[in-house]
Amino acid sequence: MALYLSIFTQILITIVAVSGVYVLTGLTGMFSLGQAAFMAVGSYASGILVVKLGVPFPLACVLAVIIAVAIGYVVGFPTVRLRRDYISLVTLGFGEAITALLNRATKLTGGASGFIGIPKKTTFLMALLSAIAAIALVSWFKTSKYGRQCIAVRSDELAAKAMGINVPKVKMTAFLFSVAVTAFSGCLYAFYITYVDPTIFGWKKSADWVIMVFFGGVNSLTGSVAGAFILSGLPELLRSLDQYRSIIYAILVLLIINFKPSGIFGEWELTFGNLKKLGSRRSRKALKEGKN
Amino acid sequence: MALLEVKNIHKSFGGVKAIQDFSLEANPGEIHGIIGPNGAGKTTIFNVISGVYAADQGSVTLDSKNITKMEQHMITREGMGRTFQNIRLFKGLNVLENVLCAFDPQSKYSIVGGLLPTPKRRSEEKRGREICEHFLEMVGMTAFLNERPENLAYGMQRRVEIARALTCNPKVLLLDEPAAGLNPTEVAELTELIQRLSKEIGFAILLIEHRLELVMSISHQIHVQNFGKTIAVGTPAEVQHNPEVIEAYLGKEE
Amino acid sequence: MKGGHTVSLQIVVNGLATGSVYALIATGFSLIFNVLKFSNFSHGALMTLSAFAGYFIAAQRGLGLIPTVLVAMVTGALVALAGEFIAFRRITLHNTSPVYFFVSSITLGTMFEGIVTVKVGANFYNYPQFFQNATIKLGNVVISTSDLLMFCCSAVALLVLAYIIQKTRVGRGLRSVSFDRDTASLMGIDVTRTIQFTFLVSGALAGLAGVFLGINYTLYPTLGSLVVKGFIASVIGGLGSLSGAIIGAVLLGLIETLSISMVGSGYTPVITFLLMLVFLLVRPSGIAGSNIQEKA
Repeated sequence: MALYLSIFTQILITIVAVSGVYVLTGLTGMFSLGQAAFMAVGSYASGILVVKLGVPFPLACVLAVIIAVAIGYVVGFPTVRLRRDYISLVTLGFGEAITALLNRATKLTGGASGFIGIPKKTTFLMALLSAIAAIALVSWFKTSKYGRQCIAVRSDELAAKAMGINVPKVKMTAFLFSVAVTAFSGCLYAFYITYVDPTIFGWKKSADWVIMVFFGGVNSLTGSVAGAFILSGLPELLRSLDQYRSIIYAILVLLIINFKPSGIFGEWELTFGNLKKLGSRRSRKALKEGKN
Repeated sequence: MALLEVKNIHKSFGGVKAIQDFSLEANPGEIHGIIGPNGAGKTTIFNVISGVYAADQGSVTLDSKNITKMEQHMITREGMGRTFQNIRLFKGLNVLENVLCAFDPQSKYSIVGGLLPTPKRRSEEKRGREICEHFLEMVGMTAFLNERPENLAYGMQRRVEIARALTCNPKVLLLDEPAAGLNPTEVAELTELIQRLSKEIGFAILLIEHRLELVMSISHQIHVQNFGKTIAVGTPAEVQHNPEVIEAYLGKEE
Repeated sequence: MKGGHTVSLQIVVNGLATGSVYALIATGFSLIFNVLKFSNFSHGALMTLSAFAGYFIAAQRGLGLIPTVLVAMVTGALVALAGEFIAFRRITLHNTSPVYFFVSSITLGTMFEGIVTVKVGANFYNYPQFFQNATIKLGNVVISTSDLLMFCCSAVALLVLAYIIQKTRVGRGLRSVSFDRDTASLMGIDVTRTIQFTFLVSGALAGLAGVFLGINYTLYPTLGSLVVKGFIASVIGGLGSLSGAIIGAVLLGLIETLSISMVGSGYTPVITFLLMLVFLLVRPSGIAGSNIQEKA
């Protein structure tokens, strides 16, 4: 039971991170390969604030998120005006730089041997509430004017500009929001595992998150959350296949991209209206089949 | 001073002179046709006026404001609406949401409203919906609010694009080949729509079009372009009888 | 005074050697960017995969440097070709949204890396010593043999590439496809062939770069993350410009060597990253100034 609870808590933390990635990648069509580095910023900043400076945990989370967003602004500023490739390349470079910094600033971060002694503050309930809150915020964002403009930018930047949309600003908003959410997941992570080291925040983790978003359906938050749930839960159940995990995922995702590019859920979202529609379609179909 | 003043603009790409010394003055209620064979630089004129490209030389003034060097989205906000030759509606949004995107930059709620369903957000969203539904009604698309544009007929997509451009509150509307790909009935409907919009809203319309019957029947003034140069300007009747035009454009076409 | 002179000359020599490997990475990446207009994130993992192939098939059996390089290049080329078929062909043909290129390439990258990890675990491998004399002394400057070799091989490879692109039929095809795929197709150029050729060349370059990286550092499954140097170089040089990528790579090599001699290797990634940010602010179109614009 305790094991399942622990697995579940970690899945929930991943869901928080992935809902941040969804804003950037799913809604806006931008790829951050340094997203995990922002999780690292959240983890280390909150950890250092609590352990070394005695800041209370909730305040540390808030401060860590603010720090991450400020760094995100610096990283994003030169890139949001340019082609979308730049944000991927620049965030990848950012990830490398952060890893180097964490390895190097031994006094503050514990260096390559990791940052230890973080108190355990994150509980299952806290992770659950955080995941719910993250999903709620992101879905409200999606249906707001911001979300719409993100989709417009993803679809056609030039036409978006021609409609008066300030494209760099929209990209920046999406980027910073996603950075904030991911950094917060970093706080949860650090205070759950109680130990962080630089190697766990490489580009591979960012890539995994992108894969989760696409697995479930790039246009659907429901899909992204489901993708995060399935793909981060599976390896825990299939421990013996651990080394084949990334290969299996890759094959799955390549199949999806080639044959059902909209992902498992397509654009479908889990809402009351859609559930009803689904229900009535099912019953109609059942009725039809019954007649035949 | 005219509402839109385009003065001696030049634009070249590499060695190709796409526009050479193009000028135009348009006033509210006027319809200006721009015609010419393919590659005459017509769309480039629109792209320069609406700020996609910066002009190499010359100036564009909208409502006494110099917009030559402004960013594209700011030019739109100054009152420039446009449609595209190859319909560029947003994929992943339905008809109403597509039009709402043009309202969103004018919508007045902050990021707090972006993350939480605040009363301000609700009222602004409602206001936007009403405005957009109004414009969609104007172009006769009320019945298709929740459809995906890619599922609609070509002519309908054009109408949605026009409604979207109208939502930008344009003082000048740029229509880039609005009749391309339409059948004769749709062309007739479109002609009627353009004239009605011109009368009801009273903006200036610039119209690039290959269908001569459409341009000739509704334009007040026609600019004929060939290889980046303006070869004739005048009323439809004047242009039709200009020998140079007949040779360069009409003669070439058939 | 004389000592300082030697030190700076030493930095230039080392920087050029490092830069030449970065140039291989950056051109391999830029080639595909040029033709398909997307950033190929599987390039790094492909370098790792080919470097390991060179190790297991040739180097481990004592076959020496040239067979190792050849095996790596051939592996890189073939795997890139296969990758194009599995991951990118359908996206290209169906003209699906370019975001899928990103995902496909990221996924392909994790797959390559996964395959390497399954084979070698988290272990480190070393290429055998290929040369008897590890260093050559020219005046006061010490050049390691492998650096010299790296520089020469990279220079030759890039010259051959430049010749192919500028002078041959397939090179002209490549240029026209990168300029406008549809028009090229109308002109009778076999676009699919050209894309395959591009992947082949890019893969071979990845193989060559992989072996050099393996010689310079050690062989380990995440060796490919050094691809970020190539990315930074192409950003500095101007995304999409081959000559820009090479200039950017050499510049990056020099800056890195200088930075390492001043603040040590630990902080160097931070310095180069900040430099890239500044560069993007000051000159977003890169050294070459060729900014690829979305079509209006």
